[in-house]
Amino acid sequence: MGITSEQHSSASSIDSSCNPSAAAGTSSSSFCAPIQSNNSTRFDLSTDLRLGLSISSSYYNDLFPTPTTTTREQPLSWPPIRSILRSAHLDKALDQKQAFLFIKIYMEGIPIGRKLNLFAQDGYDSLMTTIAHMFPTTILCPGADRVHSDKYHVLTYEDKEGDWMMVGDVPWEMFLNNVKRLKITRADRC
Amino acid sequence: MMNYFPDEVLEHVFDFVTSHRDRNAVSLVCKLWYRVERYSRQRVFIGNCYAISPERLIARFPGVKSLTLKGKPHFADFNLVPQDWGGYVQPWIEALARSRIGLEELRLKRMVVSDESLDVLSRSFTNFKSLVLVSCEGFTTDGLAAIAANCRFLRELDLQENEIEEKKNHWLGCFPDSCTSLVSLNFACLKEINLAALERLVARNPNLKSLKLNRAVPLEALQRILMRAPQLVDLGTGSFVLDRDSDDSETYRKLRTTILKCRSIRNLSGFLEVAPHCLPAIYPICVNLTYLNLSYAAGIHGSELIKLIRLCGKLQRLWILDCIGDKGLEIVASTCKDLQELRVFPSDPFGAGHDAVTETGLVAISSGCPKLNSLLYFCQQMTNAALIAVAKNCPNFIRFRLCILDPTKPDPVTMQPLDEGFGAIVQSSKRLRRLSLSGLLTDRVFLYIGMYAEQLEMLSIAFAGESDKGMLYVLNGCKKLRKLEIRDSPFGDMALLRDVGKYETMRSLWMSSCDVTLGGCKTLAKKMPRLNVEIINENDQMEFAPEDSQKVEKMYLYRTLVGPRKDAPEFVWTLV
Repeated sequence: MGITSEQHSSASSIDSSCNPSAAAGTSSSSFCAPIQSNNSTRFDLSTDLRLGLSISSSYYNDLFPTPTTTTREQPLSWPPIRSILRSAHLDKALDQKQAFLFIKIYMEGIPIGRKLNLFAQDGYDSLMTTIAHMFPTTILCPGADRVHSDKYHVLTYEDKEGDWMMVGDVPWEMFLNNVKRLKITRADRC
Repeated sequence: MMNYFPDEVLEHVFDFVTSHRDRNAVSLVCKLWYRVERYSRQRVFIGNCYAISPERLIARFPGVKSLTLKGKPHFADFNLVPQDWGGYVQPWIEALARSRIGLEELRLKRMVVSDESLDVLSRSFTNFKSLVLVSCEGFTTDGLAAIAANCRFLRELDLQENEIEEKKNHWLGCFPDSCTSLVSLNFACLKEINLAALERLVARNPNLKSLKLNRAVPLEALQRILMRAPQLVDLGTGSFVLDRDSDDSETYRKLRTTILKCRSIRNLSGFLEVAPHCLPAIYPICVNLTYLNLSYAAGIHGSELIKLIRLCGKLQRLWILDCIGDKGLEIVASTCKDLQELRVFPSDPFGAGHDAVTETGLVAISSGCPKLNSLLYFCQQMTNAALIAVAKNCPNFIRFRLCILDPTKPDPVTMQPLDEGFGAIVQSSKRLRRLSLSGLLTDRVFLYIGMYAEQLEMLSIAFAGESDKGMLYVLNGCKKLRKLEIRDSPFGDMALLRDVGKYETMRSLWMSSCDVTLGGCKTLAKKMPRLNVEIINENDQMEFAPEDSQKVEKMYLYRTLVGPRKDAPEFVWTLV
């Protein structure tokens, strides 16, 4: 008794390019990287799962201790939601056609904040210009030489993980995906 | 006694027997009943397209008008089944077309459908009325154009979550002017649509009851469409945003007026994109809604979401994203007293978990909605105490699917496995038919399932159990089990081979990343000729002849009357 197929399979790893939903799945793996730093008590198993590696049987792990490229390219199989739903929400995060992303912006020393629609901005330059019209101060542009002075302010933002970061370090799209609110802080505090 | 009645009388009696299972039972009573039943059967359901052949279907049921076919295994939804695995509808459509079957309705799930299949379908059955495609792939809008152009009496075209390649054609414009019989049209899974053709189509189809639009339909167009179709019962909005150029307030006012006339809408979905300030336009219809699906509506959250929910007092089914939070679920619990089905999807599957639900939300729902019988719940964590409370509050579960996003997470309060919690669920819900487990689980949960889940038909297991005993408890105890799917659990040959006859009482078994070996699968295949035991091999490393002791990455077995399938790709090995 044996195997009916003539050839032993040599290939057919899941090629993300032939499955559009899989492509969405694999491209999302770039979002997994920040999560590793998020929760230090997470077990390795969880990290693997978050990275979308299906847990191979121990036999394969013994023979092939480093993950193969085949495994890396496999689209995500956990959590068990359909690709269409998964990629719909990824698209949502990045879709700049969505009309609104209102976030709060405060300036240090002024108790009443403002709201700003980030999707109405084209990028960091547009953002700085808009903010300049809203608040009575000079905000140093991202990338300008750091000046430690109480006359100038800098723009910071709170990200998904609750950390306060300088605006301008990451690409605009990534910033949009991570920003929770903005704060204009005195330059001498940074 | 029944032998003295003419066949027509029997047939008339059988007309009242509509469920597939009841008709199957009727056909087993005696040869006479088998004969009368088979000639009068109009609706046939085939849960696994490889269990039987189209020729045998046609031979047994020459009068079939409605056919339902399912192809790939369920775990294909989660990318566990490679492309080109199979599930082709072409041979079925070809065989039906060659015969003199008067097919009127075709419902396919997880099958590969080609443009050619759709073309043949559209030309071969003059009375064809209804095409429902769920999670299918392999076709383009050219195939849809054929259906639109050739099916003169089409009533239903329902495309749910398919992967469709969109060509530059305007397939919707292929519906002839004489097409006025449409009752249901769903193209939400497409990205584009010809708006003008859509509006004309809606205008000439006054019987349209169900319409689900896609994201290419903006609010202005929705308003015009609703003006033409105030009789709709089932509406899927496309985008709920205005074109940048339009006059917001004018459009909003028109929309609001139009929606006020749509008093029949009971099911609402869509909101693929949302301009939240336009949402109040739909408030007037919320009070009548029985089904609300916001699982794609990531743009509705926070206070807007709550305002919406508070108006939906008659909801029976709610599909929502987990950004509603536990607090939002408490509002659902106090508002939707008739709730029977709840699905909470993860809005940020890879996220840090800020927007999510926990056991608190579920307990609140169970407390406020005692009629709850169907649950799909993606959450950050779950406790035994919560599950026990839910089991007590809601003893009527038919479907209970819990997915903890970290799949081996224990009860965070006690650090215990969730065996007791799930045990409470299966013990209290005596009519449970479908169950999905997650969280840290030992063999004990399977002992409970085997003992109490007497009506269980489908069980999904992931990252659970400790030994073969777990799987054996289930196979021995669950007499009504039809589908068992297992991934990443330590079950091996001993459990697989203990009771080989069991698998002929089931539709299928899926095991991936478990401990079953090639040798074990071969043994099973040899003992059970009426099972197809298929191994899926994707690894490059399998170029050498595999040893029997090697663990099998993915195994899918199913009962069949027609032997190994002839369309298996090279990476699928059918063991004999």
